[in-house]
Amino acid sequence: MMMNIRKLLVSLLTILLPMLAGLPIPYLLNFNQYYILLALQSVIIASVALAWNIIGGYAGQLDLASFAYIGLGGILATELMINYNITPWLGMLLGSGISAALAFIIGYPLFRFGIRGVWYALSTAALVVILHESVIMVLGPYDYYIPFVEGWYYLRFRTWDNLYYFSLFILAGVIFLNLYIGRSRLGYYLRSIREDEVAAEAVGIDVRKYKLLALVIYAAILGFIGYIYIVSQRTFSYKTFSGPQSVYIAIIGIVGGLGSVSGVMTAAIFLKIVEEYLRGFLGGVLPGLHLLLFGILLIVVGVLRPGGLSTFIEPLLKRTKTRLMGGKV
Amino acid sequence: MFPSPGLMAQSLLDGIFLGFLYSLMALGLSLVFGVMGIINFAHGDFIMLGSYLVWLIANSVRTDPSLVSIVTVPLFFVVGAAIYTIIIRPVFGKEPLIQIAVTVGVGYVLQNTALMFFRAEPRAVQSTALNLYIGLGPVNIHAAKLVTALLSSVIVIGVHYLLTKTWVGLTIRATAYDREVATLMGINVNKVYLLVFGLGIALTALAASLWMTFGQANPYIGTSFGLLTWVIIALGGLGGVSGLLASSLIVGVMQSLTMTLASPTISLTVPYLVFLVVLWFRPQGLFGRRE
Repeated sequence: MMMNIRKLLVSLLTILLPMLAGLPIPYLLNFNQYYILLALQSVIIASVALAWNIIGGYAGQLDLASFAYIGLGGILATELMINYNITPWLGMLLGSGISAALAFIIGYPLFRFGIRGVWYALSTAALVVILHESVIMVLGPYDYYIPFVEGWYYLRFRTWDNLYYFSLFILAGVIFLNLYIGRSRLGYYLRSIREDEVAAEAVGIDVRKYKLLALVIYAAILGFIGYIYIVSQRTFSYKTFSGPQSVYIAIIGIVGGLGSVSGVMTAAIFLKIVEEYLRGFLGGVLPGLHLLLFGILLIVVGVLRPGGLSTFIEPLLKRTKTRLMGGKV
Repeated sequence: MFPSPGLMAQSLLDGIFLGFLYSLMALGLSLVFGVMGIINFAHGDFIMLGSYLVWLIANSVRTDPSLVSIVTVPLFFVVGAAIYTIIIRPVFGKEPLIQIAVTVGVGYVLQNTALMFFRAEPRAVQSTALNLYIGLGPVNIHAAKLVTALLSSVIVIGVHYLLTKTWVGLTIRATAYDREVATLMGINVNKVYLLVFGLGIALTALAASLWMTFGQANPYIGTSFGLLTWVIIALGGLGGVSGLLASSLIVGVMQSLTMTLASPTISLTVPYLVFLVVLWFRPQGLFGRRE
């Protein structure tokens, strides 16, 4: 009985820890708005990469369409707010729904016809380009700025602090979903699909159904985050449907370690810090240097350590956890 | 409003010329994928970097872009062989996702190297001997495109003969067919892979040279050529050179007609949509079979 409560507390702590660690950051940064915006962007990217972890990390499907879902959900919520004064709280849910619907429409035939591996990756990459080009036809080649509105009704504020705190809740939610799925039946199914799809099918797992489920969950999360992403970028356009950005999310997921929550989160935040540091110092001289380094990092991880950063972090976490649990796991 | 027959003929012709160049672009990728089973996501970025190199050399020594291939093709062969040895060989037999990820990393490196050295500006070669038009009834034939199409088809067919009629080709096909048995027959599989990967990358340099006789280099053509060449392979299957040529021509014409009839902004949407649908209903491709 004691042990169970302790176990529950530790699990709760794992989910809340990033949030608790994130809360005092604006104080530590002295409410410097530039740094808080960076913190907000890293929390968003971490959430997106963790959502990717469900389809890419657990299920092993190299999805390169994350910004298709972010763009669709985010632009829907933003347009609803601008044109009909509908609160983003509702808009984000609708965005989540429309992204999940798109994922279903795309995923159903893909999985129904047994498309996997490189063909799945290519199909998702093609999806981003198709949306990118179609949205030019709809929205035109312009950048749109969100009119200045303020308050919790619009989830937009004069400073970035509140949105940052809000994004921490989203991150905690995505971490919870990841851990929950990781330990549930679905998580075991997905990992067995990643390891060997044919074998998984042979032991009676409905491969299509669970891959589709993972894809829809992933897309729903991204559609929800979309609005916050657009607000943090201050602008939206057809360029929101970005192929390179979608690849970047997959890079984070792989560098962090497939299926590892702590690894992916560390990778997202670490890469963001490196990116900003290099941009600040060398951005004017050598644009794209950070991306070049990320490419090299991805190659190094793939060749030498396919487990990613998680191979360094997880043993460390396990030791801490064991100590917290009183020597037993 | 429907465009005039002359315009349609022009568009069709341009599409066919482009299609032949696409077949050369896809040839290296098809070799690497067909023989080694390696999924190269950096293929288009090699074409992109090759185009920039061609621009750099052709402009600094004032020569025709097609002649620059004498330098870039051997260079790319060496680069390809080095990448195979350092990066591709260690991930052989690992999860497909890791294999793809590694080549995505290579593509990222190439793309951002180009961005660093050449910035994001599009570049075109100033002087090319082939920049003239031959009037032929309602259509104008751009000499550069015509020569590109002719050379591309010659090279594609040449490589086909290399594979089917020569000793080296037999070795390559044996390795593709069964790696282990090929090893038992005394074939140095590693050498074959080195050769094939080097050749696959060298062919992108050639395609880039021809592309630069009429096209532009910018950091983003890598992504679109990369996807397009994969689309061509998906449509053509790995059946052989006829499937490759047919699907390249289809993609080229589709793209060209979309630009004329609809809008250049959606020139990739139509081939990609066709790709998605073909992938669903004919996973073996339109013309060939795929394992």
